[in-house]
Order: sequence, then structure tokens, then C-alpha cells
Amino acid sequence: MDTMEKIQEIMGISIFEVFEKMFYIFLEPSDVMCDDYNVEADILFDGPVSGSVRILFSLDIANAMIQNMLGLENDEITEQDTEDCLKEAVNMVCGNLFGKFDSTEVFNLSVPTFTRQPESLEVGATTHRMDFDSEDGKVGVIIALSH
Amino acid sequence: MSFNVLIVDDSKSMRRVIKKIISISGFKMDRCFEAGNGKEALNVLADDWIDVIMSDINMPEMNGFKLLEELQKDDLLKNIPVVVITTESSEERMQNALNLGAKGFIKKPFLPEDLKRILHEVIGVDDDGYYGEDSGDNGDFDF
Repeated sequence: MDTMEKIQEIMGISIFEVFEKMFYIFLEPSDVMCDDYNVEADILFDGPVSGSVRILFSLDIANAMIQNMLGLENDEITEQDTEDCLKEAVNMVCGNLFGKFDSTEVFNLSVPTFTRQPESLEVGATTHRMDFDSEDGKVGVIIALSH
Repeated sequence: MSFNVLIVDDSKSMRRVIKKIISISGFKMDRCFEAGNGKEALNVLADDWIDVIMSDINMPEMNGFKLLEELQKDDLLKNIPVVVITTESSEERMQNALNLGAKGFIKKPFLPEDLKRILHEVIGVDDDGYYGEDSGDNGDFDF
């Protein structure tokens, strides 16, 4: 199993765990590639393996995550809540991912960034995309390795 | 007896979640203070008595390791129990936090029960009988 395959396999476990424990949302892998995600949170990682993780969210699942995590009603959610919550989500998913990948190694994670209207969803030779579905909406993950 | 808690995390959402979980856990919390990084935490500690600190590691301006170092330099502050709550995945870094004086750590994502358990462990509330006589708490959470 090469590095990307191992990361993909663990990513599936990590994202399920984070969404279930922190957001009370149960994801399922999806074969359908969604192209209309509304927001994304990204993080860079550096260590024995380096690269980036982008997590893409439909607006409905982003709102469900915030409602479930913070106990807010839909009309109480601010833009800052959305950004803060989704950045924390990508941070938790990646921390969990690399703890399972190799906890004996040190991986440095960047400060997450937040973007509305994600672009460039195509994948290349060093990137891999995973899509997930749930009752609350859709989530996509794009993993890129730089070395 | 109630306890003053300081939550140190650059994520406002995470601070809110931690505060909410502590509140509903039956833990006897008096006042809850918040700080966005280690520097802000030291400012809170300069003005108010804190019984337990729950701190993230990766934060801008002053991270959790530096905060632990600063606490160890102060004869009074070094006795305050610190629980590290982090996404940090490296065993080496977690051991480093314990070496710097942290009393325990919990990895995100966590369940409410995990947070309650570690809080009780480091502050010893169960052993001392301070915890929840009138809360009717059985260790489970209702959301």
C-alpha cells in the first residue's frame, strides 16, 4: 500500500470519527462527485509526508455542523461561527488522521484557512478526492501530496 | 465548593463547546474564563484566581507549550492543574506537554464523557466529594 492509499484509508476513518463525535453527523462514502460545494476549509501539513487537505462542505451540512456543535438555531449562526467551526473541523480531521498514520512522527499543521465558493475541484496525479454524503448534506475531501 | 475554569483555545467555537460540556456535566463550576492564546491566559491569571486550566497547544502568539513553561516559572501558578485539549497527534509532543507540567491531555475529537473524566481526574473532585451531590448525574449526557 503506498502512502496516498494509506492516507485515503485513514482519512475515511478519521472524518467519520470527527463528524460523529463532534458534530453528531454520520457520513457515508459516495460515488457521486458533487461539484456545487459552497464553502471549504484547508490545512497544510508538513512532516515525513507533506501536502494539503481541503474539506468541502455544502451549506446545509455546514449549518447542521454548527447547530449540532454549538447548539445554535439556524438564524443565530453568524459568518464567523461558520468560518471558525469549519476551520476547527479540518484541524481535527487532520490531527486525527496523522495520529493514526504514525503517532511516533511529528507532523506540523498550518493555521487552517476558509474559502467561500470553492474552485479547482479537479484532481491530478498527486491528488485524490473523496466524497461523502449524509442526511444533513455533502462533504468532499481533496488530499494533495507534495513529497 | 465551586471551581473557576480557564479555557484557552484560539477557536471560539471550541471554547463554547468545552464550556457547554463542563456546564452540563454537573461539575461545580463557579466562573468560566476564556482566552484565545497563552498570552491572554496569563493576563486572566494575573487578575483572577483559577482552579483548573484547559488549554489547546497550537495557538497563535503564545502556544500551549510556552504557556506551560510560563506557568512553571511562577510558584503560585505552577500548582494550577492544566489539561491539554488538542488535535496534536505526536506522542513525543504529548510527552513534552506532560514534562512541562500538564496533568493530563485529551485529544480532539472527544466525547463529553472523556472531558468530564479527565477534569475529575486532575482536580480530584470525585475523591474529595465535591462533585454533583444534587445534580442527579449518572455520568451520561443528554443533548
